[in-house]
Amino acid sequence: MIEYTLLAGLLFGLYFSLVGLGLNLIFGVMRIVNLAHGDFLMLGAFFAYWLFHLLGPNPLISLFLAFLLFALIAYPLYFLLVPRLLSARDPEMLSIILFFGLSQVLEALAVIGFGTSERSLPGQLLGHGPVQILGQNFPAAWATSGIASALAVVFVYFYLYRTRLGYLTRAVMVHHEEAVSTGINVHRVSAIAFGIGLALAAVAGVFAPFMLGSITPAMGIDITITSFAVIVVGSLGNPLGTVLGGIIYGISLMMMQTYLSSWANLLPYLLLIGILLVRPSGLLGRQVRRA
Amino acid sequence: MPKALRHVLFTLVPVVVAFALLPSVYSNQLLLFNFVIYLALTQGFNIIYGFTGYLPFGYVGFFGAGAYGFALAVMHLHFPPLAALGVGAVAAVLLGLVLTPLLRLSGAYFAIANLAASQAVFLIVSNPNLTAITKGPYGISLSGVFSPGFTYGVAVAILAATLGLVIYLRNSRFGLALQAIREDAISAGMAGINVVLSRTIAWLLSALVAGLVGGVFAWYISVFYPETVFDLGVSIFAIVFALFGGTATILGPILGVIILYGIYNVIGISTPQYFQLIYGVLIVGLVLFLPEGLVSIFKRRGIDVP
Amino acid sequence: MSPEPDTDTEADTGTGTTGTGTGTGTAAAPLLRIVGLVKRFGGFRALDGLSFHLKPGEILGLVGPNGSGKTTCINVISGLYRPDGGQILLDGRAIGGLPSHRLVHLGINRTFQVPKPFMTLTVRENVEVAAAYGRRRPGKTDIEALLHSLELDSHAKRPASELNSVQQKMLDLARALATAPRILLVDELAAGLNPAELERVGERLKALAAQNIALVVVEHLMGFIDQVTDRVIVCNAGRGIFAGPLSAAIRDRQVVEVFLGAEDDGGAA
Repeated sequence: MIEYTLLAGLLFGLYFSLVGLGLNLIFGVMRIVNLAHGDFLMLGAFFAYWLFHLLGPNPLISLFLAFLLFALIAYPLYFLLVPRLLSARDPEMLSIILFFGLSQVLEALAVIGFGTSERSLPGQLLGHGPVQILGQNFPAAWATSGIASALAVVFVYFYLYRTRLGYLTRAVMVHHEEAVSTGINVHRVSAIAFGIGLALAAVAGVFAPFMLGSITPAMGIDITITSFAVIVVGSLGNPLGTVLGGIIYGISLMMMQTYLSSWANLLPYLLLIGILLVRPSGLLGRQVRRA
Repeated sequence: MPKALRHVLFTLVPVVVAFALLPSVYSNQLLLFNFVIYLALTQGFNIIYGFTGYLPFGYVGFFGAGAYGFALAVMHLHFPPLAALGVGAVAAVLLGLVLTPLLRLSGAYFAIANLAASQAVFLIVSNPNLTAITKGPYGISLSGVFSPGFTYGVAVAILAATLGLVIYLRNSRFGLALQAIREDAISAGMAGINVVLSRTIAWLLSALVAGLVGGVFAWYISVFYPETVFDLGVSIFAIVFALFGGTATILGPILGVIILYGIYNVIGISTPQYFQLIYGVLIVGLVLFLPEGLVSIFKRRGIDVP
Repeated sequence: MSPEPDTDTEADTGTGTTGTGTGTGTAAAPLLRIVGLVKRFGGFRALDGLSFHLKPGEILGLVGPNGSGKTTCINVISGLYRPDGGQILLDGRAIGGLPSHRLVHLGINRTFQVPKPFMTLTVRENVEVAAAYGRRRPGKTDIEALLHSLELDSHAKRPASELNSVQQKMLDLARALATAPRILLVDELAAGLNPAELERVGERLKALAAQNIALVVVEHLMGFIDQVTDRVIVCNAGRGIFAGPLSAAIRDRQVVEVFLGAEDDGGAA
């Protein structure tokens, strides 16, 4: 029982790392809060659902299409919204409201396009039969999602630490003002990070029908909060931190569901508040100003 | 203070008189009641966000606490409604006290943590394990105290008190101190302001308003579910109405409620998804092009907005 | 507070006090005494046993290379950081770790290197709120005169966000002065000012000292330090390595070593 819980927690943890990753990247680079993160994930899920019914391909193909499509949409969206936002007096605060508005737009569009009913995809799409890991049986969909999530994290790691653009992205994360003054094209770097962030949300969405059950246009806000719990537990602006947060979150969730199931849905909220209160200085992006 | 008196005469008096008289000429009292509720809630939000700068995404938590405080006092303690209203207010203020540590967080962290807190309270109240106390997810029925005519009057009185409070903040040193904290807490400390105490008072006042409003809401409709009174939409409406009109003013939130909630009642109920779409676009446009709200149009022309 | 008129003290130090500042032998008792102050950030000791004292009407300069602990010292004295060791004594009473507003009420105030005035409030409201909340005892701050003396009176009704950076510095100073401080900590007020403004600000600080206010001035511009201070503490790695007049400091071998390279900048400015 405990082995099963821990391993299932690990698989879900990897998936939750992917769920939080895009939000973390965008916050780290732009210091803006994408409150529509969960809605982009929801759109990714509906995109996969729609592709399946239209063309019937394996969701793993949808994954690449979703990544490409959302990255391409996000790039101009960045220039439409973010530069103007960043020039305001308190961009971090205003971003919450702006992206809340965007989340309303996305949710409304999803309702108009797909209706309000719950949708789901058959789990067999991600492989047949149970998969054995260390003597425990898991649905193949869980294993596939977990592995794909791990690959996505590795992808982001390589982007940030092994490419020139990634190097510049990290420079913008750590020293925004200095990056501007050294002539880095901050908006281009940020727009690409924004694109990757939304694309990762969409990729996580492709797996949502298998990992989170059915999908609805209204699922966005809960996902956004879960993502926040994950990245706050880990550490902001660091993809490896997101993995830590995701795994802690996944395992705690499985433990709660196994041993305290009627209170399990409280977990993300309590975890989020608890971590913020216990370790605010380590997790807060904003430090005491240099007087 | 003549300026405060002007604010009372030009904002509080017309709004309160209008909503006190409207039921005699307009029959949809529920709609008027909802306007009163949102006028008061939006001003309560204005206290903590407009004056102090904390964005309470989970503001609805206080509303829900007020509603449940009222309901539990009526159901279990058999309190008369007005006393139960006090219990609702106390419940909201207590929740505010419990959440006071969140004020250490800044910006987005506070907003997210507060949102999480209100969701947590909702999940606790609606948990089937607590059915004996809160009736869990099955909802509350208080038909014994149902009395819409009187309750409407109580709601208008709460609105009047809330407007009075905001007028006080707009014209007092304490209001100025809160705004100083909003602008920069460190400089505010060096201006001699007790930052922690002042923002806690603002936070609790804001919770008190939402608690009273939640209580009177429970009283008025008397049958409700946890989702009704912990609906995130309530927070969102209050936030958007206030921002649309312009925070840290008295008039801004009033304009926001009258205009946006008016539009909502015209098109939002029949086709909610299109309303949501327009709403979303409006919010995005507002942040990008008019981040200080409608009243900033007047302010830019040098007009002193109450 | 000492009833002694401080013009005498000024005249004394002006002619150059001998010794290293441990006992200047004047009548005024120290208002503020810093003893072995320690402040750590993780493993880094920003302040590592700094000690000095300050008398009413005195202008003390804190100089030293970047990272030597000058601004940290001001931050600790003004309550932004809690000290990790040592003592801060005001009139002999330990005040280390008190919150900022309490210190303001005890008569300590400061200006900021990067001022953050209350941007949406008007210039006048910025000063009003400090006068209302910051005074240690009931009294009336003459806001008009204060704004006038810092050349802010013509902007009184405009929001602080419309001021330029030098005006924002002056507003920050006005905010501090509105609380009627006994001790004023001035953190890099001179940076960014033109020579004429520098001259005026220097005279202004001296006038404050003449009103019996004790000042601590952190500054990189040695010319400005020379113009306004009676005495300097040279800081290095969180400790004081010299105390005395600037003219003596620049002849001190240890000081010269620490400042090697930085000396030229100071001279040029």
